[in-house]
Parts: sequence; structure tokens; C-alpha cells
Amino acid sequence: MMASPLFFPLALVLYFSPLKKQQIIEHISKVSEAAMEKMKGEIVEEERSNCDNEGDGKLKVRILVVDDSLLDRKVVERLLNKSEEGFEVITVDNGKKAMDILGLNEAETEPAAINDQSIDIVLTDYCMPGMTGYDLLKAVKGQSFPKPIPVVVMSSENEPQRISRCRAIGAEDFILKPIQIKDVQRLRNYAKPNASSPIVGSKRKMKPLELATESGGGSEKRPRLAGVVVA
Amino acid sequence: MAAFAQEQLDALVNSMYREGFLDEQFQQIRALDEGGSPDFLVELLGLFCADADRMLNEVTVVLNQPIVDYKKVDAYFHQLKGSSASVGAHSFNLTCMLVRDSCDKNDKEGNIFLMQLLGGIEPGQTEVL
Repeated sequence: MMASPLFFPLALVLYFSPLKKQQIIEHISKVSEAAMEKMKGEIVEEERSNCDNEGDGKLKVRILVVDDSLLDRKVVERLLNKSEEGFEVITVDNGKKAMDILGLNEAETEPAAINDQSIDIVLTDYCMPGMTGYDLLKAVKGQSFPKPIPVVVMSSENEPQRISRCRAIGAEDFILKPIQIKDVQRLRNYAKPNASSPIVGSKRKMKPLELATESGGGSEKRPRLAGVVVA
Repeated sequence: MAAFAQEQLDALVNSMYREGFLDEQFQQIRALDEGGSPDFLVELLGLFCADADRMLNEVTVVLNQPIVDYKKVDAYFHQLKGSSASVGAHSFNLTCMLVRDSCDKNDKEGNIFLMQLLGGIEPGQTEVL
């Protein structure tokens, strides 16, 4: 019984008057309920953050899709979201916005760009007004990100010169539009989320009462029940 | 009743596949619909039709100019070619490629003929309005 976590609360109840006992019991119940609620909240939070990741140990990949065609953006976004490859999709309609998201600024030359939104891979259309996909590719590959960002170019034109031009400056791949399921699987292979990210699926076990251990020295660690007021 | 309508729709779609109007991309788009509801397909087709309508009107204006800017026509049909491929509109896509070939040759008559095929110009019109 000494080892039981309920020993001290029970001892307090046994040694006080009935009225005090009742008050103590009520207080213990409230503390227990509060502790339970807090733990429930923590578990929900943990599960929510785990839901950001795909199951089966996969990590979600943040993909930036750049295409001036709304129709194409919708198709690609839907395909990526519905695939089981675990993508979190961000879409923009021009290269300049893509540069902003990647933390690249054409006006300034910074020694190291900051990928604030943690983009894991860029999928860009080749033909776009203003800044083309090729220009964007060149800009991304010309920067020194802490973690290099793979860039895959897509185009409706199957031009060997265009393809080799993109590969020559570092494009990981060149995909012919319209994009297919098999292309989505290839994209997943190019993107490598941070290896130190937690593996999803672990859950904390709920205990009826959480006890805090006292810090400091001593051969014995005496558990104490937080929040109990003894009259 | 709903089952009968679905059968008719499937028969129509199958015939369009056989005649080359649609290709497997259309099937892929249908597969992206959730829970059997065609909302996504309807949305995409709506976007495509709106885009096609707008661009064909703009091409008509360009073709009406005394000096036709074939690069502009080519740019419009490049976009249309892309969108039609994305929704699986196979024959539309092929026609767009033919228009682009005509643009390479500065072939106004060829462009007008193909625009008629796409419905951008009324058949029988010799002058673009």
C-alpha cells in the first residue's frame, strides 16, 4: 500500500474529521478531474500534431506548386492531396510569389536564403508569363538553402532541348503534363523531409493521477500530490 | 431514375472515348472526385469551358486585324492546348496543335477553318466577325 499513488490522499482522509474528509475528497476529485482534463488536452494536442504527418511512419512533404493556369493548379493539387504519398500542398500562380514563399528576394543578394515556410520540394510549370519556370529553377538552384530544395519542372511540351536545359542547371526531373499518379510517386522520392522529425503513431498512456517527483538529492524520491490543501 | 440517367451518361462518355473526343485523362479526373459526387469534374469542366470561350473570342479579335499577330494566336492556343490536355478533351487538344501549326505557317484560312471546328466561328463564315 505504501507504494500505491493513492496512499497519501487516503491517509489524509482517514486522519481528519468527517467534514474535513468530505472537503478533502471533493478537493481530490476536483484535482483529479483537472489533471485528467489537462492530460486529455495534451493528448489531443499530441494527436493533432501527429495528424499533420501521414501514418505508417511517413512524414508529410510540403510541396510548392507554381502554375499560372488555375485549372492545372486545381488538378495537380487534387492529385497530390488524394495520393497516399503525404503531401501538404501550397499553390501560387506565378514565379514571383514562389520566390516570396521561398524567402528569395530578387532585389537583395543574401548569402543564404531562408526557407521560412519549410518547402521540401518545388513543382513548377515551365511556361509562365513574366518569370518562367526556368527562371525560378535558376533562382532556387542559385541560392544556398540550409537544406537544398529539389525542383521539378513540368511542361505540356515534350521538347528535348527544354528538358536538357532544365537538367543542366539542376532540375531533379522534368514531367510532361498532364501529371499522372506515377509522377506523384516520383515527386515523393525527390523530397526528403527532415530525418530528425518524429515518427508518428506513438501515444501517451493516461494515468489516473499524475504525480510530480521532487527534485534535489536524496536516495529516496518522495512523491507529492500537487494541489492538496490540508487544514 | 437516377440509375437510368447514370447509365445514359456512362454510355455517352464511353462513346466519346471511342470517337476520340475524350482520353484517359478524363477518367483520371473522374477518379479524383470524392464519394462519387462529380463536383470536382464539373468545376474543372466549367473552368475549361470559360477559358475556351474567352480565348476563342480573343483569337477572333486578333484574326480580324488587318495584320494578324500569329504569335498571339499561338500563345492563346498554347494555353488552350494545355487546359484541354488537363481535362482529357483529346480531339480539342489535337485541334489546338493543328492551329499552332497553322500559326507557324501564317495560315489565316487554316486558322479560321480550325476555329470553326472548335466552335469559335460559325460554320460557313468566310469572314471572321
